[in-house]
Amino acid sequence: MSEEKKTQTQKKDGKARGACPSSDRMEKLAQAVEKVRVSVASNVAIFCEEAANLTERAKQRLASEPEGKPQVKKATPKKTAPKKKAAPKRIVVRVPKNENPVVESVEPIEGETAEVVHEKKKKKSGKGLGIKYLGGFLLSKMARGGALSLRFKADEVNRLNVFPVPDGDTGDNMRMTIESGIAAIENLDSDDLAEVMKVLSHGMLLGARGNSGVILSQFFAGTAKGFEGIEKADPASLGYALELGVKQAYASVMTPTEGTILTVAREAVEYAVARITPESTIRTFFADLVKEMHASVERTPEILAALKEADVVDSGGAGLFYIMDGFNRVLNGEEIEAGEDSTVGVSPAAPAVDPVSFDAFGVDSVMTYGYCTELLVRLQSSKGDVDAFDVEALKDFLATLGDSIVAFKTDSVVKVHVHTLTPEKVLEHLRIYGEFLAVKIENMSLQHSSSEIYASEEATPKEEAPLVRKKYGAVAVCIGEGIEALYRDMGCDEIVEGGQTQNPSTNDFLDAFSRVNAEHIFAFPNNGNILMAAQQAAELYTDATVHVIPSKNIGTGYVALSTADFDNPDPAAIEAGMLEAMKHVTAGYVSPSIRDAEINGVHIEKGDTIGIIEKEIVVSRRDRLEAASALAERIMGEDKFMLTVFAGKDADSEEEAQLEARLHEVCPDAEIYFVDGGQDIYPYIFVAE
Amino acid sequence: MANYVIYTDSACDICKETLSEWGVPYRNLTFRFADEDKEYSNEDMPVKGFYDRMRAGGVAKTAAVNSESFAEEFDKILAAGNDLLYLGFSSGLSTTFNSARLAAEQLREKYPERKIIAIDTLAASAGQGLIVYLTVKAKRDGATIEEAAAFAEGLIPRMGIWFTVDDLVYLKRGGRVSPTAAFVGNLLGIKPVLYMDDAGHLIPVVKVRGRKNSINMLADKYTELAANKEEGSVFISHGDCLDDAKALADILKTRHGIEVEIITDVGPVIGAHSGPGTLALFFVGNKR
Repeated sequence: MSEEKKTQTQKKDGKARGACPSSDRMEKLAQAVEKVRVSVASNVAIFCEEAANLTERAKQRLASEPEGKPQVKKATPKKTAPKKKAAPKRIVVRVPKNENPVVESVEPIEGETAEVVHEKKKKKSGKGLGIKYLGGFLLSKMARGGALSLRFKADEVNRLNVFPVPDGDTGDNMRMTIESGIAAIENLDSDDLAEVMKVLSHGMLLGARGNSGVILSQFFAGTAKGFEGIEKADPASLGYALELGVKQAYASVMTPTEGTILTVAREAVEYAVARITPESTIRTFFADLVKEMHASVERTPEILAALKEADVVDSGGAGLFYIMDGFNRVLNGEEIEAGEDSTVGVSPAAPAVDPVSFDAFGVDSVMTYGYCTELLVRLQSSKGDVDAFDVEALKDFLATLGDSIVAFKTDSVVKVHVHTLTPEKVLEHLRIYGEFLAVKIENMSLQHSSSEIYASEEATPKEEAPLVRKKYGAVAVCIGEGIEALYRDMGCDEIVEGGQTQNPSTNDFLDAFSRVNAEHIFAFPNNGNILMAAQQAAELYTDATVHVIPSKNIGTGYVALSTADFDNPDPAAIEAGMLEAMKHVTAGYVSPSIRDAEINGVHIEKGDTIGIIEKEIVVSRRDRLEAASALAERIMGEDKFMLTVFAGKDADSEEEAQLEARLHEVCPDAEIYFVDGGQDIYPYIFVAE
Repeated sequence: MANYVIYTDSACDICKETLSEWGVPYRNLTFRFADEDKEYSNEDMPVKGFYDRMRAGGVAKTAAVNSESFAEEFDKILAAGNDLLYLGFSSGLSTTFNSARLAAEQLREKYPERKIIAIDTLAASAGQGLIVYLTVKAKRDGATIEEAAAFAEGLIPRMGIWFTVDDLVYLKRGGRVSPTAAFVGNLLGIKPVLYMDDAGHLIPVVKVRGRKNSINMLADKYTELAANKEEGSVFISHGDCLDDAKALADILKTRHGIEVEIITDVGPVIGAHSGPGTLALFFVGNKR
């Protein structure tokens, strides 16, 4: 306590956060800090702010709270510090990880005494800043730093994504996941730790992409549970919450694999928790956490053979490390890179606005198409019972104003999509229940002119939420015109665009589910890395029973869906039928190799084409046709009699014809079918039955 | 007691020689190709050539025979002093039977003393053929026209008519199947297994992955539904896929020791709708 440096800064609204006047020492510090506005990472000196809060909290805690118990009472500011308008000076700090930051430059603010500068340096040197509690503001800043840190390392993490299949998207998936959380807290002006963490993790759950992204979001969601009812956390409470996070992360995976992000999270949290002492601060805790996390990432190849073979560390674990490293660096008052082009906080889900010519809607234009209106509304308890909000009634109301209605509620957030001539009425109505988190209103005449196809789709009733509730619906993840058409032909209602390099988020699934008006929805993730996002969405979705069919690629999904008997009244039987059909399926992939390697005795050179059966590389050939034929021979061995070949977008029809002829030679008795899959990464996917 | 003639139509897919051997006259139904203004009967075009033309994209169509042409044929039989038992192509698939029924009505007025019985077999191809065959057997065993008619009527709801097509597109094109949600679309590699229901309609029941599985599925249906697995009469018809027909017969022989009595072509009249690669199995069971 005696070493704590208390600082003070101002909130955006101008209200100062109070320091306790009864402590001379703190008073003095508060004054000093006023003169020493510094900026780190962003233009807010978060640690100062936090520390100022702590003055109050620590005192209260000493006075009234049993030891070790987290503080839940709201601190009442007792003193308003005078405003300080001087422009913040920037301190640039470069630190080796887990060491105390070194102040490279501190520019004195006009009128500042040497003593104050010294004080400031001391503070910045880290030793003196003992933050005892983690609050909402601090968490927000740290999370931003974490996201930013990963953003700069996303490519590196992508590259770690295990060889040799160029499936490098872990970094992007994790980045988009955390950025989705950051977007959620963008305008959340709260110092309530539980609230911030809840909103952050909820945003992450919705934006989760890829396995690592889902695990990451679950880690945060579990941690959020640990913070429930806690306005700020001391190291022990933080450790407890993170332990819950680890637990939930493990629980989110059907068969947890060690040597992955799970291990990294678990070992780091265990280590940091074990080192908590009465002297521990949030900073010492994070220092331990990040240090062990780094070490744990380095150990992953010792645990997971696939990593060692490919000579990489686990990408998800590395991603988690970079995020937490960002947390830690913000905590240490460090800049995350230059930060100039920081786009963290901008929702990754917000698509870049295509250049639309506004000329399409001129002074004499007649409004025909209306407005594509999308809203995110936070229901407000002050306006009504949040839990009892009736989405169906809302849909009924929206139906009186327009069409293409989509509305669903997740916790206290309602997402609305409607095409209407009177968006103002939609806004007005929603305002009855809550406040807007985001609003998007687009003149569809402009969309119409910029893309005929888009417009015609908009105009057809297909887009409208089907009025008759079907018994069964299907949602599949795929990409490529051919395969999308194929899936739609097979009765798939909604396509979620995505695949190996573009993992859709949980929210993408929720959106798709909401567009299918059915009692039971069968979801085909069609990729191992998308499975979890689908499962997460299935759990979150309440409007229908979602059955996730664990299809690993567009081929197995195709097999499953093609045998689906949607006339069967029993959804469990349909699901069982599909799983049964998938059971006899072996998938093979023809893929370019991106490195030299020796795996399972297969000699691979960069630029070769490799053949993979399930997850194992079985052949490697200089020539793609040779590789494909060799793979076919392997995969069709034993009891297979049918081979469906999904030609990717890299395959050309001439090569396909050659391959088809070769396949008939190699497997003379097999039924062979070619499908224009249009998938990326793999020129050919084989599905052997 | 007058002699009676069992009469059928060429949808039964039993060849001319065999029908002649059974003493069964028949009405030739006709088909034509969309790009050619010429009516053919099954006897005018070899099946191989017919299916090759279909595979090459030729669109074959059929048109119901009018009642007049039935009346002409019936008249000859009745005029010769015979009674008439017509076993016709399923009314669930064609208006052929209705034409024959109308002709029968018309001729009952002309020949009030003759017995004219028209029975809708609610079957097609060699399924209809199997009903004709068994009824002929009954006649040979001494059944009267009423007894033979009752026998056929009793047989009809027990017929097992199961088939698989290479591509559902032909049946859909001719409107011979109303695909339910489950059977929409181009199901590459999917071999639907269908059966003919009590109303003589084609009902897709299972989507099977791969031809081999669909052939096995037909055999499974025999095992499941055939009334007399070791000794009953079994017919197979095929749309230019004799090897598959033989493979199916082999499976049945291996499983039940049963010899398939007739393996015949799905003639152009039926084939115009079922397409090349159709494989159908017919047997007597306890229900459809």
